Amino acid sequence: MTSSAGKRDREPRLLKRRPAWLVLATEQFGRRVRSTAVWGIALGALGALYVALYPSMSGLLEQYLQQASENMQQFFGGQQGPLTIERWLEIEFIGSIIPIALPFLAMNIGARAVAGAEERKTLDLLLSNPVPRRDVVLAALVNMAGTLATVLVCTWVLTIIAAPAAGVALPPGRLAWGLLALWPFCLFFGALALLCSTLFRRSFLALAVPGVVLVAMYVVAQLAQASRVVEPLRVLSLFYHLGRPLEGEFPWLTTLGLLVAVAAMTAAAVAGFARRDIQT
Amino acid sequence: MPAAVLTYGLTKRYGRRTGIESLDLEVRPGEVFGFIGPNGAGKTTTIRLLLDLLHPTSGKAQVLGHDTRTHSVLIRHKTGYLPGEFGLDPRVTARRLVTHFARLRGLTDLKYAFTLAQRLELDLDLPCGRQSRGNRQKVGLLLALFHRPELAVLDEPTTGLDPLMQETFLQIVREAQQEGRTVFLSSHILSEVERVCERVAIVKQGRLVAVETMQSLRERRRRRVMVTFAEPIDPTPFAMLPTVSDVRYEGSTLWLRVGDGIDAVVKLAAQHTVNELVVEQPSLDEVFMTYYPAQA
Repeated sequence: MTSSAGKRDREPRLLKRRPAWLVLATEQFGRRVRSTAVWGIALGALGALYVALYPSMSGLLEQYLQQASENMQQFFGGQQGPLTIERWLEIEFIGSIIPIALPFLAMNIGARAVAGAEERKTLDLLLSNPVPRRDVVLAALVNMAGTLATVLVCTWVLTIIAAPAAGVALPPGRLAWGLLALWPFCLFFGALALLCSTLFRRSFLALAVPGVVLVAMYVVAQLAQASRVVEPLRVLSLFYHLGRPLEGEFPWLTTLGLLVAVAAMTAAAVAGFARRDIQT
Repeated sequence: MPAAVLTYGLTKRYGRRTGIESLDLEVRPGEVFGFIGPNGAGKTTTIRLLLDLLHPTSGKAQVLGHDTRTHSVLIRHKTGYLPGEFGLDPRVTARRLVTHFARLRGLTDLKYAFTLAQRLELDLDLPCGRQSRGNRQKVGLLLALFHRPELAVLDEPTTGLDPLMQETFLQIVREAQQEGRTVFLSSHILSEVERVCERVAIVKQGRLVAVETMQSLRERRRRRVMVTFAEPIDPTPFAMLPTVSDVRYEGSTLWLRVGDGIDAVVKLAAQHTVNELVVEQPSLDEVFMTYYPAQA
């Protein structure tokens, strides 16, 4: 054995460590940059397309809805008066496509964080470092939140750029509020996937459970607009509670409730993960 | 100085199946300790208990003086771990992995990591998905050792390495020991354990069978002797010698096994005309199998 002085000479230099969750989240975000960019550009391009379609579609849709049954009018959001760009984007984009598609990005991050890492056998190596299990869960949540925010900002930018080109007056602030309301909504499903990821140990289940919940909520919300039988169930759907943020009704209470639920699910995920064995 | 590894009655059961049962073990600081046994004996379970990846059913363990359940982060700060099976993100290069792990450990000096990579002939800039199996094992070794841990826990470290690289690895282990670091090496390949370890623990079906020094393990080896005589002889005097066993005589050839009494065998054989004398050192595997009579 060498002397302790000799050992000190050879010891690598130690810095005050950054929190492990921050290092992990930064690394994970960096590894996902390409996929995040693809999501942001794809949704942004879709937003731009809907803005470009608005001038030609608004008249046609207004005519159709005037002749449509009350149920069908309800299905299209209870259209009263002219179809504004805000209402158009609310119906076609912010109230349907994004809240159905974007949660899957968050769910994928949540499912891969623990159960997926176990299946890929990368978790043992990661936990060979001085990383508390809690930080693995927190890093996934932070990465999820950052990725969703980046995609929504990209969507906002591309949609806003398209508006003057299409000759449409779309207030940037309104669109920002509309997209902002979707952030905790998507995060909720990501956190649910993260919780399932720590409990079920199977990434398929961690993706499937929140996926089924999301689709069921969407179906209930849509059917409730057209069917009086289903209408009482709409309170069970988060789509119903999202309201119409693009038209100036930002769902503050829903946002607060969603953030509390995200915090609770994350805490449960941390507790569940701490108590269980890591699979090989 | 606390023991590098200390376990008391450490037990892990998976339902009805036993991973490891009532393991009492002590690994001294600064030694290279072999943990050997066949596949499924409980080696990996023990290691994963030490690193708090598994929670014990009962019993306790300490690593570098810290309880594995309450101080696992501190333990992992001081420890390097190579899992027996591990996955690597196929898009990520070894360089990025080392840099990432260094950040998690608060390290900035990666000189030793680059030296290790060079000695292991590892291309740090190739994505892990394009590395061969042996090279992925080298990435695992690099990640376990680049921070000069006080204790390196290596589960089947030479899997996939070619013989030259195995030699390089064993040299790295010897150097770690010279620096006062402890190496806990789990393996079912006795030859590699024999070359670097001072003591070994032998596990069988989840139970500790023996803890031996390498020297005492070697002493258990019984050499095989074959003597061909010019004319037929009576083999009975050979069978009467102490430490001689398994005597077989056919034609004019005698086979036997002998412990430390080779001198008496040679002297007895010299009373006849000897055409050929062969003395073979048995492998350590044969010694190892003496602990597994049912399977031998």
